[in-house]
Amino acid sequence: MALDLDRSIIGEEFDRTTYDPLTAEELVAFATALGETDPHYTQPGPDLVAHPTFAVRFKGKKFFPDNLPESLRFRMSFDAGKDLDVGVPVRPGDAITIVSTLHDVYEKTGRTGTMVFVVVRFTLLNQRGEQVAIVDNRLMYRGQDQ
Amino acid sequence: MSGRRYDDVLEGDELATRELVLEKDQVRAYARATSMYFARFTDDEGARKEGLPGMITPGNMSMGLLGSFVEQWSGAGTLRRLGTTFRGLVLPGRTIRLCGAVTQKDDATRTVEIDVWLENDDGERCVIGTATVRLP
Repeated sequence: MALDLDRSIIGEEFDRTTYDPLTAEELVAFATALGETDPHYTQPGPDLVAHPTFAVRFKGKKFFPDNLPESLRFRMSFDAGKDLDVGVPVRPGDAITIVSTLHDVYEKTGRTGTMVFVVVRFTLLNQRGEQVAIVDNRLMYRGQDQ
Repeated sequence: MSGRRYDDVLEGDELATRELVLEKDQVRAYARATSMYFARFTDDEGARKEGLPGMITPGNMSMGLLGSFVEQWSGAGTLRRLGTTFRGLVLPGRTIRLCGAVTQKDDATRTVEIDVWLENDDGERCVIGTATVRLP
């Protein structure tokens, strides 16, 4: 699958979505579903913060930029993994904004042929503009000859 | 919020492996809590219609399990970074093992790098990754 990409779109913000303020119940439900027992993540009160991987539950309204080639936008992809950088803690009442950018597009050749990886970056900010997290979402597309 | 001190960690230290049965209801609870209540994560029959062997665990949940596993060793609030690669399907209703080993220490930042992985009961590493924790 030859990559025909205008690389100037990399790094451009293509979506900005703000969620309603979070409740303590949402934070606790997330942590409890992971089997967490630490009271910082599970006990409502002034010390409650979100589990550090809570940030990966967010996504913007639009997952791809409109100017990503159609060969990538409309094909089936696989969730190849995520990289999470943890920032300031998330607390009840925080309103999280997701700023989405196309972070990288690259090809790799392995035993099963050529694959294309698209990395969509979500930068999460709270209502004070503090960085809550950076989440890089790696999507993998197998070559059309696969 | 931390329980472990930087000076008490050595490169090569292994985290005590955590073995658990990942129940289907726990996966459904995660799907519900993250607004991902899709058939592939909640219902065997619905997942099979998508060509899957049965309901599967969201990659995000596997990541969360590894994050909790690391912080149970290092202390709540210490995780700074977690990078994961999803290599295979994690099927609920089966035993999984969460494993890790310290690969590197950085005295300047008091951070510790840990290789982590989630393996199934056949010993296949379905999720691999690297965690960074900062310790007092």
